Amino acid sequence: MKPTVIGIRIREQRKRIGLTQAAMARELGISPAYLNLIESNKRSVGGGLLKRVASILDVNLQTLSGAAEQRLSDDLRALSADPLFDNVDPGENFAEEIIAKHPEWARMMLILYQAYLDRSRALSVMSDRLNRDTQLQTSVHRMLTHLTSIRSVSEILNDAEEIEINQRQRFHQLLQTESVELTNVAQELVSYFSTQKSTNPTAAVAEKVDEFIISRQNYFPELERASEELLKEIHNTGNNELDGALQEFLTEKLKIDIRNETISKDKGARYKNQSRMDKDNNTLFFLENAPVITRRFQMMRVASEVVCKQALEKIVSDPRLSSFAARHQAKRALASYIASAALMPYDFFMETAETHRYDIDVLQQKFNAGYEQVCHRLVTLRKPGAEGVPFAFMRADPSGYVSKRFPLTRFPLPRYGHVCPLWPIFSTFQFPGKIARNIAEFPNGDRFLMISRSVRKPPITFHDPPVSLAIMLVCDIIHGDRLVYSEGLDFKSQKNLLRVGPSCNQCAYAECQHRQESPWTLMDNGH
Amino acid sequence: MATQPSNATLNKTVLIVEDELHIIESLRFILQRAGYLVHEVHDGNDAVNSVRAHIPDVIVLDLMLPNKNGFEILKELKSDLALSNTPVLMLTAKGQQQDRANAEQLKVDAFITKPFSNQEVLSCIDHLSKR
Repeated sequence: MKPTVIGIRIREQRKRIGLTQAAMARELGISPAYLNLIESNKRSVGGGLLKRVASILDVNLQTLSGAAEQRLSDDLRALSADPLFDNVDPGENFAEEIIAKHPEWARMMLILYQAYLDRSRALSVMSDRLNRDTQLQTSVHRMLTHLTSIRSVSEILNDAEEIEINQRQRFHQLLQTESVELTNVAQELVSYFSTQKSTNPTAAVAEKVDEFIISRQNYFPELERASEELLKEIHNTGNNELDGALQEFLTEKLKIDIRNETISKDKGARYKNQSRMDKDNNTLFFLENAPVITRRFQMMRVASEVVCKQALEKIVSDPRLSSFAARHQAKRALASYIASAALMPYDFFMETAETHRYDIDVLQQKFNAGYEQVCHRLVTLRKPGAEGVPFAFMRADPSGYVSKRFPLTRFPLPRYGHVCPLWPIFSTFQFPGKIARNIAEFPNGDRFLMISRSVRKPPITFHDPPVSLAIMLVCDIIHGDRLVYSEGLDFKSQKNLLRVGPSCNQCAYAECQHRQESPWTLMDNGH
Repeated sequence: MATQPSNATLNKTVLIVEDELHIIESLRFILQRAGYLVHEVHDGNDAVNSVRAHIPDVIVLDLMLPNKNGFEILKELKSDLALSNTPVLMLTAKGQQQDRANAEQLKVDAFITKPFSNQEVLSCIDHLSKR
């Protein structure tokens, strides 16, 4: 896949504590030559060996693996694969070298590149809007029509000296009417642009929020605590049954009205997740067919937004969430985090997950939660000292659009461009509801267990197309034996390995029939 | 701008297929002033029948019309042997490359985008009416 920064860190730390390569190799039970390869990033290190290295060097795994630097390195490599740099050869280890010598420059480059992508997207959106926005097209058409009349009539008034007085008056009247109409259209347009608000935050905003959550390892201890407090308050209503207590808490304590709305074809867009919060009237609406799981989660999310407002505000005041849209979207995502933590409390969820070997079906039933909700919660199990299996998470739609991503240090999810089409997440659309498990091998030999399944949000009515999404959890193969999904899979066999890459431009499988772009490593060699 | 009717335009008819009444008013003025007889149709559905009832020398056709758009009308006209030789000037506020290409594919005789100059339209109609 790519060289890592682990080797560099091992060497630095070893030298810092005054340990020779030979001595350390002896303690590890490996040859000095092999340790040298590891320190030169020519061999990957993981699992038990990495734990022993961390123990000898007296550092924690997180520090050693340099997760933050690794992400930086992945992003730099993705940047260098942009066709913009087709004729530039950055060198094999350019990312690690820049990060080692000038980490702030690396960050600045990425900020600049992100800004470039944001502007490019904004331009595309504007261009798309100009070309496809029906309201804009209608307004422009009306403007041109009025302008046509004004131009034609004014030319007549200017050219036709012999024109009769009545006719002249009529054309003056036309000119005035058309000018007023033109003004009206112009004002409508100004008002249209000034009131236009996108309810779908742009991809750039989503990326900022993603990056922020990734930088926190998708674990927020302050929100875990907030969820415990929230749950206590809800149970204080005296109602022992959670759904009833939640409803009572919202209506009695928070004065939020809960209403059902009848199903109709035109409500699909307004009812994302079959619910809608009307903040002006403090009312939470559900479509009448919204299932219990959805109702419970959305009620908890709304309660989190109100009760845990301070905790949420504090977290989203992070300077990385620089725009209002980013803070707004982050707050929404983190309120969902609290809801998820309240419905699946950390310690109990963790214990249940371990007992049932991370069987998502079992967890769904134990916690009355949806498939995606359980997967989300599994990714947050990063409490120091009580960590679950580290999972990467990805959600995509049938077009390949990745709407949620959480990478792992050794399993980068490319931030820019497409991912490898061979990832099993995409083929799950052909088998709705069925879990697929695969052992995937990357070109550098790294192996991962991939657990994929598509989920289908039910359509509002027969006439609405259902929303299909695929979700994939990925963990390093070293954790595979803790998962029910590894049962019956032969980890040692080469036969059933799924050979995949990160994305075409970062993949070294030269003979792949699915390749759409040249790999950046080969570009300068004329391949 | 031609200010007086000439022999060349006398008794020649122009059918304006357009739903914007103010545009029709100024077009009618400049065409009548140049000596043309002007008929009008405001609805896309009536256009082809109106041409069949009285074949004009030139058709001025808008694109965005109620009930049937200018492309559909143009297609019908050009696929009817009795009408296909009647020159059509398409006059439209939609001036995008694709619209022009569509119109050309349907064998339009001339294409002018709004807002037009009166002289440009008149010259074009003069030219088409002599064919």
